[in-house]
Amino acid sequence: MTLLTIAIPSKGRLMEQANELFERAGLKIERYGTDRGYRGRLIGTDNIEVAFLSASEIAAQLRDGKIDAGITGEDLLRETIAPGNDVADVALRLNFGPADVVVAVPECWLDVAVMADLDDVAEQFYATHGRRLRVATKYLNLTRRFFAEKGITGYRIVESLGATEGAPATGTAELIVDITTSGATLKANQLRILDDGLILASCAVFAVNKHSAQLENMRNLMGLLGRAVVA
Amino acid sequence: MAGKTSSHRAALERQNAAIMAVFERAGFDQIAPDIIQPADIFLERSGEDIRARTFVFNDPAGNELCLRPDLTVPACRYHLSHTKTPEAETKYCYLGPAFRFPDELLSPQEFTQAGLEWFGDKADIAAEARVIKLAVSALEAAGLTGLKVSLGDLGLFNALLDDMPMPERWRRRLRHQFWRPQAFRNLLETFAKPARTIRSSISGNIDALEGQDAVAETSWMLADQKLNLVTLRSVEDIAARLHEKLADRSEQPLAETMVVAIESYLKVSGALTEISSQLKAISKTPRFLGAIDKFEQRIAALEDQGLNPRRFHFSADFGRELEYYTGLVFQIDVEARNAPLSVAGGGRYDRLLQDLGAVISIPAVGCAIHTDRLLAVMS
Repeated sequence: MTLLTIAIPSKGRLMEQANELFERAGLKIERYGTDRGYRGRLIGTDNIEVAFLSASEIAAQLRDGKIDAGITGEDLLRETIAPGNDVADVALRLNFGPADVVVAVPECWLDVAVMADLDDVAEQFYATHGRRLRVATKYLNLTRRFFAEKGITGYRIVESLGATEGAPATGTAELIVDITTSGATLKANQLRILDDGLILASCAVFAVNKHSAQLENMRNLMGLLGRAVVA
Repeated sequence: MAGKTSSHRAALERQNAAIMAVFERAGFDQIAPDIIQPADIFLERSGEDIRARTFVFNDPAGNELCLRPDLTVPACRYHLSHTKTPEAETKYCYLGPAFRFPDELLSPQEFTQAGLEWFGDKADIAAEARVIKLAVSALEAAGLTGLKVSLGDLGLFNALLDDMPMPERWRRRLRHQFWRPQAFRNLLETFAKPARTIRSSISGNIDALEGQDAVAETSWMLADQKLNLVTLRSVEDIAARLHEKLADRSEQPLAETMVVAIESYLKVSGALTEISSQLKAISKTPRFLGAIDKFEQRIAALEDQGLNPRRFHFSADFGRELEYYTGLVFQIDVEARNAPLSVAGGGRYDRLLQDLGAVISIPAVGCAIHTDRLLAVMS
């Protein structure tokens, strides 16, 4: 039987919830060597190794076909793997780690409710200031795709690798695309989600390489995990 | 493929020499704009969709540079930096590499573009016809047969809107969305509905402006909700848009007959010489008739150049992907194995030079040939 590698998050709440999921499925993750090791195996299945990686690294390795399956955020998966590239896809939505990827504007923009307003503002902003509206985000691809779907082109992305919600106040961007769970951080930074600004309602997913999904030990694992997902 | 073979390179050079000879014989001066360009100038003009396809990098000082994704903007910059009188009539041609991340089959990431730009032209219709003629002649000189010319004309659409009674800001928004079919349709639907039926999360802010001074009321709302004013948008900017939205509520919705006229205009398509009658059936309002008249002069100008407009195709919604242009848009396709392939395109872009720093608006018309693709379809 083929030896499979699945990756699970190496830290944080996502790791804890992934561990709980495996427990409910009757599977135990045993780390090789010390507790700090980055490899292990899944007891209770045939020939499945576990790699402990960051959630974004898991999405990248799924894209590159280096691992057979992994648990990561849907936001990272959709950002990393372009639509139409079917190397790996969501096999199970795990119903934990909920987070929305949204478009948010400064609350002081009392005249902006929807993406169409943004297009209008972008045009006037360019006419007045000679430059494009800047969108701070780490989700370059999700942002480009969503804005293109909404027919909005008059903007620029400013890549942000942290504290994105502070960008409008510090003057490095006019608006943001970011992840939110309760909306509290957005509110605290005087940002408001556009009425039609939901890009993706994300949660943790078990994503599987297209070819690996056909293998018997992977199908067994998907069955066990599927029954362990809490509705 | 990691490069071209000796014979491929020689074939491309032969082809391109034939193209450039046509341009130079017609009096176009061959220039060599910089390959490396400041990134901002492209990105601020074209927005994120071009940025996603442009090779952008930083110099050691942190300035954002790019490999030119196209030669029109570099030719404009060349022009503005080499002359004190940019409005004087000037004819340039060029041949050189451009770079884009590939987005479709047969689009390599580095390709050689041949083209011409005619700045400060006076007789606009005649200059446009001349540019189409030169593009066709250059392609024929390169050995191409069976080419198909398609045209669009923003002048007709603008005239149609100008004749319709509606607030100027609605016209501005419809023109702005012309390039985006889905957004355009949504906007048209919005204008056709009574505006007060539309509610959103800012409807309360619009309600509050009723009977009030817009700027004062907006300032009051910001203060009342303890909102900091961030970004370069001023209270006046925000108030002005809220005020427009309030004004929209008391506007008459766009009449059904006008919605139908706009929609039927966008469906107009056919041989160039058979378009006038279709257009006249849509509307007989004065500016639109004037634009039709100009369109007929265009046909005559093409005939003057020895072209056969009966074989040209007109489509009212043509060029919806090309935001650059302000009037005529054209594209030359070749029947390839599976589908027609575009080998050349061009049009009028009267705002670009001013956008790039010219003090006054300078007319400009030009075209570009995708030389690698041309060689590929001929072999």
